[in-house]
Amino acid sequence: MALVNPDFAEELKAFGVDTALECFNCGTCAAICPLIFEHFPRKMIRYVQVGATEKILQQAQELWRCLHCGLCTQTCPRQADPAELILGLRRYVVDRWRRA
Amino acid sequence: MYNPRDIINLIGANVRKSRNPFGIPSSQINTWWREAPGFTRRPGDALLLTGLMYQAIPYIEATTRYLERLEDSRWADYLRFAPLSRYIPSFVVGRGLACLTSRAEKKQFNRILVSMCRLLTQSAADFFYHPEMDFYSGILLYDLGDQEGFVEHAKFVARNLKLHGVQKIITVDPHTTYALKELYPKYTGVSFDVQPYFALLRPHQVSRGNGRPPVAIHDPCFYGRYLKVSEMPRQLLTDLGLPYTEVRNCGEFTSCCGGPAESVSPALNREILDRRVAELKASGAPVVTFCPICLANLLKAGLPVEDLASLLDRNW
Repeated sequence: MALVNPDFAEELKAFGVDTALECFNCGTCAAICPLIFEHFPRKMIRYVQVGATEKILQQAQELWRCLHCGLCTQTCPRQADPAELILGLRRYVVDRWRRA
Repeated sequence: MYNPRDIINLIGANVRKSRNPFGIPSSQINTWWREAPGFTRRPGDALLLTGLMYQAIPYIEATTRYLERLEDSRWADYLRFAPLSRYIPSFVVGRGLACLTSRAEKKQFNRILVSMCRLLTQSAADFFYHPEMDFYSGILLYDLGDQEGFVEHAKFVARNLKLHGVQKIITVDPHTTYALKELYPKYTGVSFDVQPYFALLRPHQVSRGNGRPPVAIHDPCFYGRYLKVSEMPRQLLTDLGLPYTEVRNCGEFTSCCGGPAESVSPALNREILDRRVAELKASGAPVVTFCPICLANLLKAGLPVEDLASLLDRNW
């Protein structure tokens, strides 16, 4: 069972992410991502939307697999900017590590 | 894969110590200008800022050769102690790293910068270069998510450049261009007029390259997608009569070479690189690119590849 934080997308704005709720989970980003890795980055964006912070922190290492190549942002039909979202999540995780 | 936290702590500590990601004096990395008499310390309108990226490639390659060997081994965990190297004087770390880098490789990448200077001069670009004002942009800290470290470093660089009255900057690689053009105004509040060197090149003679076999273009992600300047190098090749061929996935839809993964996972870098190499090989033409990270990565894969500046310089 995972705890969810419905305000998480709002909290992420402090880390430069304000497009998380634009995503409607079509999966175009995961289809074009060169990593071809477990629905990345769609899965992470979904975690943000529902506020599954524990899941994000458990799988934090996956965030650094992202190449920041920007193909997902280029092809996103909702301008949800998945590349920037992953970068924002890295900032959030680094901040958590430093405060821990 | 290495623990990103260890890599971030190491690179952050190095940037704080020496203002570059290696923890060694920047003067040791930045030696290309000594082989380029006539281009330095002269008066000019725009500062040529290399961001130390081309010069750093031999050091990056030397480091990743070791990272590649130790990735996922029990030794990988010991990387968490690496930031302790901040207690070692930077010139000692520098000597050690210098022993691991090849002189030929340093020469190869320094020569590209000399070519860029020659091209700018021949295009009557009004520029100047001061090694002391050539700072690393901090882009790796930004990419890794070390926002605090990046902003601190970017403010240091912006403050120093403004102090010297710099307003116009000529860049040579996509990562520094993106940092100075897009990130510095946002995170430091300081804006510069930033242009990549190839935007200032003006070929006088056309059709010099007639009869040459075509080259295949590998667009770096940051020039292709983030800055959308893929057309400029193509126009230059056309102006010089140098034929080129488009590969599958180019321009705004270019494929990543895997370079950005190098610091955290050399194995992942290899996996992505192999896929891009297959796309480039399908063209059957020698490859030209305009990013030091892409260039080093494609060279590592054994592809016949050269930098745009070297190709243009030869045919100017």
